[in-house]
Amino acid sequence: MSAVIKRQRGFSASRAFALLAAVFLVIFGAAVVLLAHDQQRVIDATSRLQEQTVPEIIRFQRLARNLEQLRQEGERIFAVNSHASRQQSMFVVTLIASHPSILEHPPAAQLARETEQFLSEIVRQSVRDDRRPAAYYDEWQRLAARLGTQVDDVSIQGVDLVTSDLNVATEAMKLARYKLMAVLLLFGLFLLVFVVLVRSYLIKPLQAIDRALSNLSVVQPAPEFPPTAMREIQAVEEAIREQHALLIQNEQVRHVLEQLANKDGLTGLMNRRHFMQVAEVELQRAQRYRRPVTVAMADLDYFKKLNDTYGHAAGDLVLKTFADLVREALRQSDLVCRYGGEEFAFLFPEIDPGDAAKLAERLRLRCSETEIALPDGRSVKVTVSIGLADASECPIEIALKRADEALYDAKHLGRNTIVLAGEHTEARTESAEPYTARLF
Amino acid sequence: MPRRLLFLLLCLVLPVGMAAGVESSVSGQTLRVLVLDDAPPLSYRDRSGQLTGFNVEIVRALCREMQARCLFDVTTQGAVVDAVAQGKADIAGVGLQETPERQGKLIFAKPHYRSLSLWLAPRGVQPGQPGLKVAVVGGSEQEYYARRQGWATLDVSTYGELGEPLIAGRAQAAVVPMISALNLQKSEAFRQLDLVPVVMRIPELAGDIAFGISPRRPELKEEINAALDRIKRNGTYDRINSRFLPFRVS
Repeated sequence: MSAVIKRQRGFSASRAFALLAAVFLVIFGAAVVLLAHDQQRVIDATSRLQEQTVPEIIRFQRLARNLEQLRQEGERIFAVNSHASRQQSMFVVTLIASHPSILEHPPAAQLARETEQFLSEIVRQSVRDDRRPAAYYDEWQRLAARLGTQVDDVSIQGVDLVTSDLNVATEAMKLARYKLMAVLLLFGLFLLVFVVLVRSYLIKPLQAIDRALSNLSVVQPAPEFPPTAMREIQAVEEAIREQHALLIQNEQVRHVLEQLANKDGLTGLMNRRHFMQVAEVELQRAQRYRRPVTVAMADLDYFKKLNDTYGHAAGDLVLKTFADLVREALRQSDLVCRYGGEEFAFLFPEIDPGDAAKLAERLRLRCSETEIALPDGRSVKVTVSIGLADASECPIEIALKRADEALYDAKHLGRNTIVLAGEHTEARTESAEPYTARLF
Repeated sequence: MPRRLLFLLLCLVLPVGMAAGVESSVSGQTLRVLVLDDAPPLSYRDRSGQLTGFNVEIVRALCREMQARCLFDVTTQGAVVDAVAQGKADIAGVGLQETPERQGKLIFAKPHYRSLSLWLAPRGVQPGQPGLKVAVVGGSEQEYYARRQGWATLDVSTYGELGEPLIAGRAQAAVVPMISALNLQKSEAFRQLDLVPVVMRIPELAGDIAFGISPRRPELKEEINAALDRIKRNGTYDRINSRFLPFRVS
């Protein structure tokens, strides 16, 4: 439930990054539009330069050229002596002064009209007196100077048009440059934010997940993750927690199954298979380090008769009680198993058969003294026969076989007794009465 | 940074410029052009018999710009409009003023020069004065104007013939376009007449002069206009202007 609440608090990574991408697109789209706008201004300015300004400049150049031509024709009128030549020049002056290219520029038109009138008067007077023009030459010089100035003014007007257009284009280019720098800065900032977000919300949680997965084990506590906002990450973290819980559960099941596989269901002691495995290992260890080790076989005396007399439930109770006595009487390190029926096998590490006999005797004594209360109110006592054998220099099977032979001897010696392998071989041939179990 | 920006802008602008560039839709085509051969300095034959003049050379320059082959054919002022209107030629390589009547027959290119008309007459003789014979070129705007005014006209077929009736005394005045008047001034006999040029401040006798285009070739208009803009920008136009005329006429 808490995981569900956490998920509700988080947000989807795909949506978050889609939102981020959308914001990116909007911002950069706007930046591109702004840049395109400036670019359009430059294009407009250059187009205007090409389509309008250049023709205008050419127009001013032609106007300047015509004004200059006007001045040259005036000079010619003063320079030549031929009336015909003066007439020709005057004719050109008339045409230039009346030409639309001059008339559309008022200052130039005014000056051209003055020039035409002045030169016309000169030509008219020259018909009467060829020397008259010279008298007006100074005046002409002033007029020619004004024409020259007008030529300069007109030329500059053309240049000014270019300057104006170029200024517009330059301004637009500068603005575009600043905007481009701002866009690049913004791009860098956005990239930084993107990297930080990816690192914080994706890479770091993924690294934590990687560590958690590497250390995921039943011996480790459930992985803990720092709070994260991404729903997908939360889902993976939750899955890892669930996986850990499953591992624990599986381990518990495995442990139970192992217990079931290794223990005897009635007595809770090791079963024969598990005992043989563990005893084999223990025996090898003892033999490798030349340590003493002893094995034993025990059998409850007259158990079959007890079963027949009191029933199997009583037999089972006797077996369980004997198992409890074994746990109480023996050391923690001793191994014991229900070998089959009422037969039990033992392994006593670190002690030789002599010391093991003392332990076995303690068990035999406790067993013989213990009164077992049956559910029907009656009680029984049971005795045990035990055979011991040294296992420090032979395989487990051989040692157990010897212990079993000793047990056989113990039975023949009258039960409720302990026999060390090799001590009472003669007992196998004749039975002994003193160790007969007593049944009540 | 400015270089990168400039490079970016060039990348964007250059293809546009190239797309709008020199390649012409009439590239490789043959265009039939009608011109006059007796209207110096606009259109005439040089000493070797080759057609030349301001209008002819402008047309040649336009054809080069359009990468078209131009075939010149000679006509008269009175016949040029109808010939082009009927599709006998693609271009009227004759300076035509754009009048309503002509607009119905031809497509006009962008004006390539501006003109005005002169009244050439002895000092004191005014336009419309009774008893005057006014020399004009047949089919010209000046002829139409003189007729509309009810003047007695003496028509000649070419601009080159315009001086002869004045010198011979068969006409006392003339209405002529300025450039033709310039040519008349070159003749000693004409100058001896001591005619006084008076600029006629009449709207229909002054203004823009353009080439005519056959209505069957409307696509030529844009091509010719673009080519005209280019030769005005690249100096070709001014060189032709200087070669044939004493001042700038556009």
